[in-house]
Amino acid sequence: MNEWTIAIIKVVFIWSWTLLIATIMTWVERRGSALIQDRLGPNIAGPFGLFQPLADGIKLFTKEEFAPKHAHKILFTLGPVLFAIQAFSAYAVIPFGDKIVINAKEIVLQVADVNIGFLFVLAVGSLAVYGFVVGGWGSNNKYSLLGGLRATAQLLSYEVPLGLAMLAVCMTYGSFSLREISLDQAGTFLGFLPNWGIFKQPLGFLVFIVAAYAEANRVPFDLPEAESELVAGYHTEYGGMRLGLYLFGEYVNLYTLSALMVTIYFGAWHIPYVDMSSYLGPLAYGIVSFLVFFLKCAFFLWLFVWVRWTIPRFRFDQLMGLGWKSLIPLGLLNLFVTAFLIQITV
Amino acid sequence: MNGFETIFLYVGMSFLAISAMLIISALLGPLRPEPKKLETYECGVPLLDPAHKRFSLRYYVVAVLFLIFDIETILLYPVAIRYQVFARQGWAIFFEVFIFVAILLVGLFYAIIKRGIERE
Repeated sequence: MNEWTIAIIKVVFIWSWTLLIATIMTWVERRGSALIQDRLGPNIAGPFGLFQPLADGIKLFTKEEFAPKHAHKILFTLGPVLFAIQAFSAYAVIPFGDKIVINAKEIVLQVADVNIGFLFVLAVGSLAVYGFVVGGWGSNNKYSLLGGLRATAQLLSYEVPLGLAMLAVCMTYGSFSLREISLDQAGTFLGFLPNWGIFKQPLGFLVFIVAAYAEANRVPFDLPEAESELVAGYHTEYGGMRLGLYLFGEYVNLYTLSALMVTIYFGAWHIPYVDMSSYLGPLAYGIVSFLVFFLKCAFFLWLFVWVRWTIPRFRFDQLMGLGWKSLIPLGLLNLFVTAFLIQITV
Repeated sequence: MNGFETIFLYVGMSFLAISAMLIISALLGPLRPEPKKLETYECGVPLLDPAHKRFSLRYYVVAVLFLIFDIETILLYPVAIRYQVFARQGWAIFFEVFIFVAILLVGLFYAIIKRGIERE
């Protein structure tokens, strides 16, 4: 197997894997909501309703694809396509495990280990704005337009705290490469804590997770699609596969953000106090590291559902206030504290 | 082979697969247009006017603030990556970053006091 074959296998695998996770997340979301609200949720299609995403997929594929008369036909299609492409692309630099050895050939479990991993995630993440604003404007519907504009203001506002939180992480590890940051988190910190990012950047993590929820348009920050005010926000006019792309894109974004949180704050594939590579063979180690990484991500995916039914939606001025008056000053404070701590420990 | 070719491959594959999804869906689904269905949704009442017209957009200040702070973050990234190296040579780098951020922080507080971000 040459390099290109490996690269293509990795690309196809991780692309299908993110799509699979996004599909399963629709089931988890509905079952989880039902669990929290003391209902049953989808339980007809397959055991525990597990085939529900499949049924939904078939339904989306066989729906009528039409654009409203007044909509801008090209932009109306371009919006969801842009959004879905950016959602999938962001995962390209995030690892999904340590490394696997097959036929004495070491394969790193990451699509592309580039030295600017962080910046790539931030850059691609901010492209989500285009998906919302192009779709919202292209629909030529007042609710869509307002939803798209709200999405712009919200995503722009929370891009800054997200960047500041990641900046402090860069300072701590001195690297942009997400793989190097993951490798740095082995062992223990101060002798008894796992050497995870969250223990070095507790305030940074707080800023990051709040900003991540806003970036993913999730409750409590789902203002762009607040159904009590804007019908459905930017996707009011959408139906069929175009709507499906928006929904898939949202869940893929959730997975990307969860994986990012796990990678930089929760020790990536490391289990605290245990060095797996010394107990397991190279092949088993690769698989176990993949599973550990995925289980950590699964927790954060579940947290997104959990928070959705715990915290009520913000008002728009509260949202902007939280972003600009709390998170950005907190992010800058975190930057100063990090710089100070590095300065006195170096 | 550096990582960017793989990233390009990944983005290309996303584009192909997503286009394929849209095309398959367009082929599989029925197509029965009728005037009522193609109407723009406006909460049940007949459409008054199109959404594409001039209106006051008050996110302007937010957009400008975002630009300033995003550039600030970008300018800080090169410092952050080499920070540990500079920090070994003394406290100069800490105060430089401090002054740089403090100036912008004053700007942020000015914007907050002037209610630049409070309107919707």
